[in-house]
Amino acid sequence: MTVNRYTKMAYASADDMIFGNSPNPVKAGLDLEIGGGYTTPEINYAPRPEAGETKEKLIKEYERITRDSMERMVQVGFPSVVLETEHVQQMTNNPTWGGEVANAQKAIMEDYHDEYGIKCALRHTPGDIREDRDYLQLRGEKYNTLMESFEEVASNGADLLSIETMGGKEVFDRAILRNDVPGMLFAIGCLGTMDMEYIWQDITKIAKKNNVVSAGDTDCAQANTAMFIAGGLLDKNLAHTLAIIARAISAPRTLAAYEAGAVGPGKDCAYENTIVKSIAGVPIAQEGKTSTCAHSDVMGNLVMQCCDLWSNESIEYHGEFGGTTVQCWGESLAYDCALMNSALQTGQSKNLRDMMVLSDKYRDPQGYILAYDNAYKIGEAIVKDSDDIYLRAKNAAVECVNLLENADPKLQMTRFEKNALADASEALAGLTDDSDKFMSDSLEQYKEEVKVFRPENYGL
Amino acid sequence: MTSLDLDPSEILERYNVKMEKAMTPDDAAAELYPKDELIRPIAESIYEGEEDDTVEALQKAIDAGKDPIALIDDALMVGMGVVTKLYDEGIIFLPNVMMSADAMLDGIDFCKSQAKEAPVSKGKIVCHVAEGDVHDIGKSIVTALLRANAFDVVDLGRDVPVDEVIETVKKEKPIMVTGTALMTTTMYAFKAVNDRLLEAGLKVPFQCGGGAVNQDFVSTYELGVYGEEAADAPKMAEAILAGADLGKLKEQFHQH
Ligand code: B12
Repeated sequence: MTVNRYTKMAYASADDMIFGNSPNPVKAGLDLEIGGGYTTPEINYAPRPEAGETKEKLIKEYERITRDSMERMVQVGFPSVVLETEHVQQMTNNPTWGGEVANAQKAIMEDYHDEYGIKCALRHTPGDIREDRDYLQLRGEKYNTLMESFEEVASNGADLLSIETMGGKEVFDRAILRNDVPGMLFAIGCLGTMDMEYIWQDITKIAKKNNVVSAGDTDCAQANTAMFIAGGLLDKNLAHTLAIIARAISAPRTLAAYEAGAVGPGKDCAYENTIVKSIAGVPIAQEGKTSTCAHSDVMGNLVMQCCDLWSNESIEYHGEFGGTTVQCWGESLAYDCALMNSALQTGQSKNLRDMMVLSDKYRDPQGYILAYDNAYKIGEAIVKDSDDIYLRAKNAAVECVNLLENADPKLQMTRFEKNALADASEALAGLTDDSDKFMSDSLEQYKEEVKVFRPENYGL
Repeated sequence: MTSLDLDPSEILERYNVKMEKAMTPDDAAAELYPKDELIRPIAESIYEGEEDDTVEALQKAIDAGKDPIALIDDALMVGMGVVTKLYDEGIIFLPNVMMSADAMLDGIDFCKSQAKEAPVSKGKIVCHVAEGDVHDIGKSIVTALLRANAFDVVDLGRDVPVDEVIETVKKEKPIMVTGTALMTTTMYAFKAVNDRLLEAGLKVPFQCGGGAVNQDFVSTYELGVYGEEAADAPKMAEAILAGADLGKLKEQFHQH
């Protein structure tokens, strides 16, 4: 397998980007098409802690979750749904468990499909178990277990394969707590991308062999960590301007999955997905106002702008007044999709998209940059140097800083945010354009500063 | 974009912009530095997070006759005090605190290397992330802040078996133990730690925090004291040094 770099944008202009449509739609599962003209809810859930005690309990729990979800979708007349099972650790560590869960879920989904014709697909997301207590162990024994897990779920009914990989995280964890933008570039842009290329070629092989979809990844371990540390408007742990620089850098890293053979839909919590879609034209999942059950963000409507799947991130399975959690949150997602699909049918989609964008674009620097018009510009900066993983990540960071420095005055920033931005700008200006030099300097520096950093994880 | 546009002030409020303090961080810090000509540059370098400057300024003070061990309390801790105060007031942010903590640690190491006798530790603290949980960023912040406040930290890392916590407490006899958990599935390990500590007759305060953990949960076991933010950890340790027992700690740090 080879890695094919994207050298140009998937769209002629940012305005062409819209929800429910992508230049390269993906057919999956039972008659579902993702990005082919309509949006679909993607329901996410976690078993109750007690259910993880034995394999049997776990399978029962997932059967309940699946049946409840499917039942509500047909009860309210929704035409399509995706279910995502993010593995609890036991399921990936014991690959056959994941396989049996997928098998049990798929059987139920097939029943509903046979009976009602509801279009549906099952995504499985094994946990990235590639670490032992002290170190990341990206390419050792655990890697083989992880691949077995993919093989098991793919051969037992999962239609879409995903993972949230964590390459680069050991360096990032240090860098993000020290406003270290070059460190973030090295961690996400270089190390993260290298690990992505490695693992996604193998996941794609497994997907091809089993005739299922190699879907995509998210920089949850890094860009979302930055977003959560940054927190709400009043939190004082990290400037939101830095969190969005980390996010911009994560786009070329998440793109690497598609360069290594994945085809989408990208993972829901990858807030960088609008940038990725602008380049790769793959369908994407997103989450926002309907994932407040899992976490808060500052752009809940805006991120819906270009989604193909609309997700709730995660919810523990239990009862609520309106049904079980998967039913309540799934129904909310599906109503959002019905609204988007109505806009598509009535020719109002761009207006709806722009209203969603405007409601959050000036709430925070993160929403401002991820608004599709600015996201597209970051995309252009990335493809400019697509062959050089360091330069394209640096371009993304620089473009992000430029956009914020010259932002529409409607975006107000605190002095603190502006100072952090100015510092980042200066750090970026001081960086070399020579990737080899950047790599070897960073390698030296972080081997020294990060005790748990092991270059062999990245084949270095 | 379509032609849609709006005035964002009609639909949202940038409370952080509205509330921002008038004073710049540097001005605020300048007011807090000690006056002594040899001490001030040390405190400044801690605030700036410039470890090279810290060591250089310490060297100067030592050359001028200051006692290296006394400098830990009289200069380094004073600098860190400025940083902590400004963070608590919302004038500076966490990364500044972390960089100051790095400089502080280098400073402490340097002072120790220059001294004849070892400094008396303020107290030992055992830190860990709950068994089964790898989310360790919060714990790393906690350990850095404790160390920067001159506490002696035994960092057990993440995914730490209950047994190992108990063994370490037996061996190290800390003044407190901290636990971090970010998952609803892993936080129950804290109860096990609590029970095993009590069984062994070790009545040491057990400060617990992390995304999944809340005060209600921590209140269900005797030794538990809930910590909302990492910056609470050194405050709790100081409170213990000042004589606070479990009841006092809960009174001070529990919010409802
Ligand atoms: C980053 C992250 C990861 C990273 C972790 C990187 C790292 N080195 O820590 C990676 C990618 C590895 C990861 C993995 C997983 N994650 Co995760 N992760 C997160 C995320 C996005 C942010 C967590 C974070 O770092 N926050 C910032 C830090 C600074 O906050 P903090 O630790 O709480 O600390 C603050 C305070 O609590 C306090 N504090 C902490 N400890 C203490 C102690 C004392 C004494 C005091 C006073 C204060 C204090 O100080 C800090 C700041 O002031 C959260 C999302 C969320 N909503 O939280 C999910 C989240 C925690 N993860 C989750 C899950 C499910 C997982 C996985 C199982 C996913 C999978 N399928 O593989 C694995 C878990 C593997 C395992 N066995 O642990 C779920 C947990 C759900 C649950 N069951 O409760 C969350 C909530 C996401 C979600 N909404 O579903 N994750």
